[in-house]
Amino acid sequence: MRHARLELWSRGTSFAHRRHPAAKILVTLVFLIAISSLHPSQARAAIFYFVVLTALASAAKLPVPRVLLAAAVVLPFACVFALMSFFAGAPEKGIAIMVRSWLSALTTVLLMATTAQPDLLAGLEALRVPRFLVQVMQFLYRYLLVLIEEAGAMRAAAASRAGKASTLEFRRASAAAGVLFARSWGRANAIHQAMTARGFTGHIPRFRVLRITAADVWFVFGLVGPVLAVRLVLP
Amino acid sequence: MHIPDGYLSTRVWVITDLVAAPGIALLARRAQAKFNHHLIPLMGVMGAFVFAAQMINFPAGNGTSSHLVGAALLSCLLGPAAASIVMTAILATQALVFQDGGLLALGANIFNMAIAGVFAGYLPYAMFRGSRVGLFLAGFFSLMTAAVLALSELLISGVAMPPAMLSVSFAWFLVSAAIEGALTLAVAVALERIQPGCLRKPVAGGRAWAVSGLAAVLLSSAGWLFASDRPDGLESLALKAGISNRVTSLIASPFGDYQASFVANPRLAKSVAGLAGILVIYGLCMAISRAIGATRREGA
Repeated sequence: MRHARLELWSRGTSFAHRRHPAAKILVTLVFLIAISSLHPSQARAAIFYFVVLTALASAAKLPVPRVLLAAAVVLPFACVFALMSFFAGAPEKGIAIMVRSWLSALTTVLLMATTAQPDLLAGLEALRVPRFLVQVMQFLYRYLLVLIEEAGAMRAAAASRAGKASTLEFRRASAAAGVLFARSWGRANAIHQAMTARGFTGHIPRFRVLRITAADVWFVFGLVGPVLAVRLVLP
Repeated sequence: MHIPDGYLSTRVWVITDLVAAPGIALLARRAQAKFNHHLIPLMGVMGAFVFAAQMINFPAGNGTSSHLVGAALLSCLLGPAAASIVMTAILATQALVFQDGGLLALGANIFNMAIAGVFAGYLPYAMFRGSRVGLFLAGFFSLMTAAVLALSELLISGVAMPPAMLSVSFAWFLVSAAIEGALTLAVAVALERIQPGCLRKPVAGGRAWAVSGLAAVLLSSAGWLFASDRPDGLESLALKAGISNRVTSLIASPFGDYQASFVANPRLAKSVAGLAGILVIYGLCMAISRAIGATRREGA
């Protein structure tokens, strides 16, 4: 699983891992804004961002080649658009799209690789994302793997029982989705009962309280300054 | 249909983020007021269910297979406000964990799929009072609206696309929308059989008809409005001809007022203004969401 690897990386203890999640989200957004507005002629700025992001990855003691590869997930889709720009007579726009989307994905991968999921959600909440939405995201993430595994097991069971009877396949798949839904629904009710029994009133307590430190402030200004300066000054 | 980062122009992602952020804050408030915290685990697990249901392959003819997108199904199961929140949580998780869709483009993706897509799915469902036709149309319109909006946003952003590609993508949208309609119907029928009464019966009444009809027209015309903002896109769709001057107009027009003036004016001043504008808009976005959040806490 791709995100199992991200979760493995995000439990580190480097300088980047220890920063407040809200600070990291802010820096990520500034990077993304600067990258998304890159013009095809601004190759130097693009190279600068690539160097900074790679340096951050190695400072966070992440395996740099594998981080770069994880961000390359977006490239096949970008290639399609690059080809279309090529046929529409604007190849430089296609290349710009590939560079921008890869650098953006690299930024997002770095955020995820240095921030554990509960911390990320706490950061979102600190940035005033509605708490209701954040809690739904928390449950979604928690049961994602559980239900995906259940769907996989059901698929294996169905294939071993019925083989490849193609006339029945559509009905079988919709019935599988129905069964999966009924199980999920039942599971959700059981979860809610268990939570109510433990005194859930709409707020989930945290083990560790996150505080903004001086290092977080330095981290934000130390990165936002150069990123914006390069974007504004370099032609 | 998940737009990644790096494709949308600054104008487009700023505007869509600006629409999506307060929209989702409002919908979160509505869903919460209606259901209280009882719904939080249910909505999270439903989001995980849609993820898992996307793993089930449906044969789509010619040996290809397809999977459910789920926005319409969610709106029939949970109602539009809660379905929007679940779809938003799904999109955010996809963007963060799977690099499926961008973070700056998250506003655009939320607007297309979680807001417009969910409501375009709920309206026909409510209009036909939850009948089978309504379920099919829910899936169809939900996917079609989201796809047309996504394509329009890409075109407005100045993504270069040969004119022939436009008609190909429209044909592709029609096919996928019909498949999504069929899947929504099939899964909903299977659900009804396994767990009767799980689909939410839409509120009946003459007013609901009128309101939903009106809103449906508004939504579909909004999609076309986006497209016709750039008339050459539609023209080329009608003509299907790859004439080169048409291609150049396709590329030139979206860059007309923004990028071209970007180059003509002193670049530094212009980009400072642009970035400052983005920061101000983001601040506004936060302030609006915060104000809504504050009133919600007082009310709770």
